Formats: sequence, structure tokens, C-alpha cells
Amino acid sequence: MFEEIIEGILEALHLIFTFDLEIWNVIGVSFRVSLTSTFLAALFALPIGSFIGLRTFRGKKELTNLINTFMGFPPVVMGLIIYLLLTRNGPLGSLGLLYSTTAMIVAQFFLALPIITGTTKAAIESIEPDLKETILSLGANEFQLWGELIKHSKKSIIAGFLVAFGQAISEVGAVMIVGGNLRWETRTFTTAIVEQTRRGDFGMAIALGTILIVLAFITNYFLTRMQTKD
Amino acid sequence: MSILEIKNLSKSFDLKDKHEINVLLDVNFSVQKGECFVIIGPNGSGKTTLLRILGLLENPTGGTIFFNDKAITGLSAKDKVKFRRKFSYVRQKPVVRNVSVFNNVAYGLKIRGMRYRDYTEKVNAIIETVGLKGMEKKNARALSGGEMQRVAIAMNFVISPELYLLDEVSANLDQLNHKLLDDFIIKIKQDKTKTIIICTHDRFEAIKYADRIGVLTNGTISQIGTPEEVFTSPKDEFTAHFVGYENIFTGIARVDMESGLTSIKMDDFCIVTSEHKEGPVKLYIHPESIIIAKNPPENVSSLNLFKGIVEEVRELGNTCHVIIKCESSTFLSTITKVSLIKLDLHPNSEIYINFKATDVKCL
Repeated sequence: MFEEIIEGILEALHLIFTFDLEIWNVIGVSFRVSLTSTFLAALFALPIGSFIGLRTFRGKKELTNLINTFMGFPPVVMGLIIYLLLTRNGPLGSLGLLYSTTAMIVAQFFLALPIITGTTKAAIESIEPDLKETILSLGANEFQLWGELIKHSKKSIIAGFLVAFGQAISEVGAVMIVGGNLRWETRTFTTAIVEQTRRGDFGMAIALGTILIVLAFITNYFLTRMQTKD
Repeated sequence: MSILEIKNLSKSFDLKDKHEINVLLDVNFSVQKGECFVIIGPNGSGKTTLLRILGLLENPTGGTIFFNDKAITGLSAKDKVKFRRKFSYVRQKPVVRNVSVFNNVAYGLKIRGMRYRDYTEKVNAIIETVGLKGMEKKNARALSGGEMQRVAIAMNFVISPELYLLDEVSANLDQLNHKLLDDFIIKIKQDKTKTIIICTHDRFEAIKYADRIGVLTNGTISQIGTPEEVFTSPKDEFTAHFVGYENIFTGIARVDMESGLTSIKMDDFCIVTSEHKEGPVKLYIHPESIIIAKNPPENVSSLNLFKGIVEEVRELGNTCHVIIKCESSTFLSTITKVSLIKLDLHPNSEIYINFKATDVKCL
């Protein structure tokens, strides 16, 4: 077993530095899908999360419960729902998106959305009310206040983004169902690992796993640096 | 012209057990343009709630506030911003943003659409005034409490609002910062277009700054008047108990080089104090320091000796308040019941009062 791991790591290095096209394609698809979905989710989650965090309205508690539930939503079920919507006979079947990276982005978007919304809401809510009032009393309008609070909760929001990205890049169920694990098209690290393991090609599977971990580490390193930089 | 008029203002909060708690009840007063109005009251009397409502940070349950004759209660969020930009609300506990001192101070000007090159000079000037020169680039949250309070003062005062709302701002200030705040308030008071409302539980601060004082007790304004009126004739027992009694006068002080004492010239007489002061001052003498004598006292060391007429005697159990008219001024003296009988004081009795120069305190 140990030998296989070492072999896998060596193969990983070999694959990367020999610029194996298929590996680079898998890396490209994985990152494109996960980063796009997480960024898109953040684009929607930041205003939604801060709106819920800043305002008091009827049903806020129920909405919060719903978001919290969706933060732990099983990806496989999300994949199933998107599949049923996009399948040829489904309501959105005419779009022809099934088994495309777009479908994968959509599925991961809905998985990331509640995570970033929930963390943004919590971050905005945890800001001391005195700071909000000081900003308001200095004459800020709602938009200026919002910008200031987002800046202030930057660290927590980046943390939420990291969690969502981590989930997206390591997620397998949803991308498998809606992406179909098509070679050169929708194959990601995780679906490739599943494929190689099923075939008994453990070396390749370990190689892919190692690259995934290293790349996730590098991405997180840069995002964390952004988070801690003042 | 009154800049601010508060009519029938009330505020209640719903507690969890469905009980309602009334913090403000039918508050009515108006503040003139250029005036320094001090709201004095014990902790929990509703001062902060009142100031937060005036600063449009909280909605009242009932009543109306007029600012320059326009109702500013029940405004939309957008209109609230418009009025908040004319106000400045400094809270007791300073709150600063997690950015540099410069950016904290500049924030109010920046969000009003001012450009960097237009506000830089102004911001740097006020940072120097509050004694934080050289710290412009430092993160304001890394400063000490006193320095942070100075940043808070600078960022609220740099916007030069029409109305200053100051909530117990001097409560946590050390001497240096106190002096700084004093200088600011004196400067603002000279500008007759600026209006100040201060909340405090410190009666000496109220005497020092106030043109008029409003006493807030149990959520209502129980008395409004000049410091002299409030401190010599509190309207009710509660006010009397809270504000205490003081003889307050204003006059022009001059140090006498020969004796080293200061004489304070008032309308028709002079009071001598051991404190060194020059120019216009407010002074107070505690009622227990004023000694009453039936005949002109001889061989007394008191430098302040005046002839007067008893105007009123208020009996308060073991002690009595004697109101004495000397020329055009009124003094209040506290004496025991025994002394009252011994001196046989009645309204219109002719008496002499005296007090020591060391008992005359200046603000």
C-alpha cells in the first residue's frame, strides 16, 4: 500500500511536469467549475446575506433556519434535483445543458449559495450595533453602511467563501450526476478519482488526489493571505 | 428662533414577557439656535434614549420632533440620512472603524462626497488639534481608550454639523482630554449658528456648559431653566435630591496682584475667590458654606460679607433653606432648625451673610 502511495505521488509529479494534457484538462475543468460557481454564489450571497443580517422582518427566523438547513444540503440530492430539471423531458430540458460544465456550475452554485449567505449574514449580525450606529450617525446612507460593514466582516466572509470553495472542489455526487464524468469535457478531479479507483488504477487515483490536495492548499493559502492582510 | 422642538415625545419598549416599559413619557422642550442645552438626569432616566431619538437612530413610540420647523419623525431611510448629515452624535463609549486614524476622521467628509484633496488639510488640522499628529497612519483600534475618544471627537466634529448631540462624552475622559473637549465646546458655543445638546449626570458639567438645563427624571422633563434657576430652586423633591442645591453666579474675574486673590465682578457687587481666574466665569457656592448673622459680624476672616433680606424660609425637617436677597442676587443658605429659631428668621428680616473665599468655586 505504502509503495502504491509513493508511486502515486511520483506519477503525479511526472504527469504535471510532462504536461500531460488530460491531467491539465481535469485541473482546468475542476477549477473553472468550482471557482466560477463559488464566485457567482458570492455575488448573490453577499447582498442577500447582508440584507437578512441588517434588516428585521417577519419570517426572518424561519428564513435563517432554512439557510442553515441548506448549508448542509446533501450534494447528491442537489445533483438529482438539477438533473431532473435539466433532463431532456424536464422543465428546462430544452436548454440542453445536461452533461455540461454549465450544469455543474449551476449545481455547485446552489450548494455554495447558502454557505456564503449564511456566513455573511452571521458576520454582519455579529458586528457590534454601536459601530453600525456610529457609521449611520456620521451620515452614511444604506449603501455606504453596507459597504463599510462588508469591509469590516471581510475575514468572516472570506472564510465562508473558503468553505464553499472547499466543498465545491471536493464535491463528487452532484458533478457526477449532472456532469456525467465525460472525458475531456466534464471530468473533474473527484469524478476522475472515482473512475480510476473503479478501474483499479490506484496509482493514477492517488496522483490525482495528491494534485487536488496540493492545489487546494495553494488556493487556500492565497485566499487566507487575502483574509489576514490588513 | 427654535431650531429643535420636541412635542409629546414618548418611547416604550416591549419586554419579552409582554410587559411594556416606558422610557420616555410626554417629553416636551425646545432648543434655540446657538444654544447649549444640557439634559441632566440620573442613570437610567432615559437620557441616552432621548438623544438616540434626536439623532434619528431610534424611532419614538409617539410625539413629534421638529428641526427648523420640519417634522423629522417617521422619515424614510433616505430622508433620515439627509437630516443625520446635519447632526453629529458622539457617544459615551467611543467607537472607531478598523482603519487608520486619518481614514476614521475623514470618513464623514468622504461619504458626503468630498474629494481627498479637498478634505486632507481639514482632517490633518483637526488631528493636530486633538493631539494625534504623527499617528495618522496608525490603526485607530490599536490606540488607547483616551486616544480613541479623541479620534471619535475629531471625526464627529470635523463635519461641522448644525446640531451637536453629546452623550456623556466626558464620563471617561482624563484631565487632558477633558480640557480638549472643553476647548471644543467653548469654540462651538462662540459660533452662534451651532447648537449643542449635552446629556450628563454630572451637575458641575451642566453648570459649566449650559445656557439652559432640562432635568430628566423617570422619563419626563421635570424642570427647564437656567443653571441658576434649576440649582437654587429645584421644582420638586426628586429634582432637588438629584441636582442638589448650589448658588450659581456669573461674572467677570480679575486677579488682584497684591493679594493674589481673584475678585469676580457681578452686576452690583464683587465676590472674592482664592482660585486664579481671568475673564467671564461661572461660580458656585455650596449653601452650607453661607453663614447667616443677625448683626454685622466682627473679627471674621471671611472676605465675602453682604447685607441682605430674608425672602423665604423653607423648613425641611432638621434643616432649613433660607433664601436671601442681596441687591439683585439671590443666595441660598442651609442652616439647622436650631439656628433658625436662635436667629429668629422670618421673611423680610434684615441679616448679614458671609462666606470664605476658599468656598467660592469657579468653573
